[in-house]
Amino acid sequence: MIVRTLREYRRALVGWAVGISAFLAMYVGVYASIRESPETYSQAAVAKYPGALRDLMGGLEDFTTGTGYLQSVVYQLFVPMMFVFAALTVANRAIAQPEEAGTLELTVTLPVDRRRLVLDRFAGLVLGLLAAAAVTFLVTYGVAQTIEMGVPFDRLLAAHTGVLLLALFFGTVALAVGAAVGRRAPASAVVGGWAVAGYVVVTIGRNVDAIAWLKWVSPWHYYLEGKPLSTGWPWGDYLVLAAATAVLLLTAVLSFDRRDVGV
Amino acid sequence: MSAMTAVVQAEGLTKYYGRRRGLEDLTLEIQPGEVFGYLGPNGAGKTTTIRLLLDVIRPTRGLVRVLGEDTRTPAVRNRIGYLPGELALEGREKAREYLEFLAKVRGGVPAARIDGLAERLDADLGVPMRKLSKGNKQKIGLIQAFMHEPEFLILDEPTSGLDPLVQQEFLAMVREVRASGRTVLMSSHVLAEVEHVSDRVGIVRGGRLVAVENVAALREKAVRRVELHFDAPVPREAFEGLPGVRDLRIEGASLRCTIDGRPDALVKAAAKFTVVHMVSAEPDLEEIFLTYYSEAS
Repeated sequence: MIVRTLREYRRALVGWAVGISAFLAMYVGVYASIRESPETYSQAAVAKYPGALRDLMGGLEDFTTGTGYLQSVVYQLFVPMMFVFAALTVANRAIAQPEEAGTLELTVTLPVDRRRLVLDRFAGLVLGLLAAAAVTFLVTYGVAQTIEMGVPFDRLLAAHTGVLLLALFFGTVALAVGAAVGRRAPASAVVGGWAVAGYVVVTIGRNVDAIAWLKWVSPWHYYLEGKPLSTGWPWGDYLVLAAATAVLLLTAVLSFDRRDVGV
Repeated sequence: MSAMTAVVQAEGLTKYYGRRRGLEDLTLEIQPGEVFGYLGPNGAGKTTTIRLLLDVIRPTRGLVRVLGEDTRTPAVRNRIGYLPGELALEGREKAREYLEFLAKVRGGVPAARIDGLAERLDADLGVPMRKLSKGNKQKIGLIQAFMHEPEFLILDEPTSGLDPLVQQEFLAMVREVRASGRTVLMSSHVLAEVEHVSDRVGIVRGGRLVAVENVAALREKAVRRVELHFDAPVPREAFEGLPGVRDLRIEGASLRCTIDGRPDALVKAAAKFTVVHMVSAEPDLEEIFLTYYSEAS
């Protein structure tokens, strides 16, 4: 069942991995020219993103060092967000999409436990995202090495692991909603809403007292706060993401085991 | 598997979708080796019943056991072959690959058996499934239901989309299953589709099982038209008042009538003369079936 799950995910995964890799290669590669004329670029960046917009981009501090550039351009928003939507696309194929298409009915009449089915689908999501993360990590590391960016291997690995955990969390949100209601639209709405609002809360919202506390329910907080590129592995934060994912998986298993399929 | 255990045991089986009634208070037993025709118009509760038997949906109340086991037990589904009423086959995957996957999950099926079924039904397994026509998808559905030689076949509208030749082949497959002592539940909205292979038929309407009839008994009750031709004109008195004989018309050497029940009395009366030709139309069970409908509504 896991093998088949991976086959069903394959197209979406390969597409996203290629897309994200291309994005990474291009943007990391651009750093070579930014490094040539740091003053121009840091001023340009500050001018281009004033005030709140700069907050939204994570502050754009230290834009011209290798670490700062990677953090701002790659790991702050674009790559994790792309991974989150890749995870959403893939996770929707686990239950919601086949249920809407009607193909899930025959699957649940196989001699396979419903709980096992959800776990296998989740395992496929983990392996698929892991593969996409590994490929994109190698691309990032390769380009960073080529242009001598000066970012250590383990820091980069720590940051990339954060992307994987964040994507896995939102993917499991989609899996859990799909397992509970069997439709793609609610799963996409929950993931899209939570991902965007959660990001705004930890960036612009940080300075607004009324909503600052919301950061505790934003996965982005646990992804961004530890600054793995400059300080290394934020074990505690990553553990929170992993534990939240495990809880979501449990709800997915329990809700799918209890409900009617395809009505 | 003891021969005494009913293949389907339902007691007060009820399913509501929210407030909408899907099935109400179904009590039914299907015995091993039986072919049970499950009849009713669309939306009557046939698919609801079938999905309950397969644990795709869960009963609101009531009991249901299949092959002596709780329907929640995954292992029992390995002993069932299932053709969904709305079979969805999608994607770029070829039919053969999908069948091989299903076979593997069900513990393995010899490739020769899949090929044999494909040949019988004239199915092309090398085509991506999304490109298959409705009839060809139905063939794939039948292959996957039959291929692991399950003890119990549950077929929801199995003949829909099949051309007449393939339908005949399918009915032959059902007869073989019965001959080997296995059990079949097949649904249809047309009696004619199931009457030739079914031992019993159940008629469901508006979520309720309104009748269960033995097909042989139904046939015996059925009205049939009979024509007899003799070598010489026959006297009307010889056939008047025979039990079960109605609408008697005699014109010279030929006799026409309808028979209600057994043709025994008519045959014995006719035996006194020289019969040169006899025509007996198939009883129209559809008519009886419709009688039940009007009674139920």
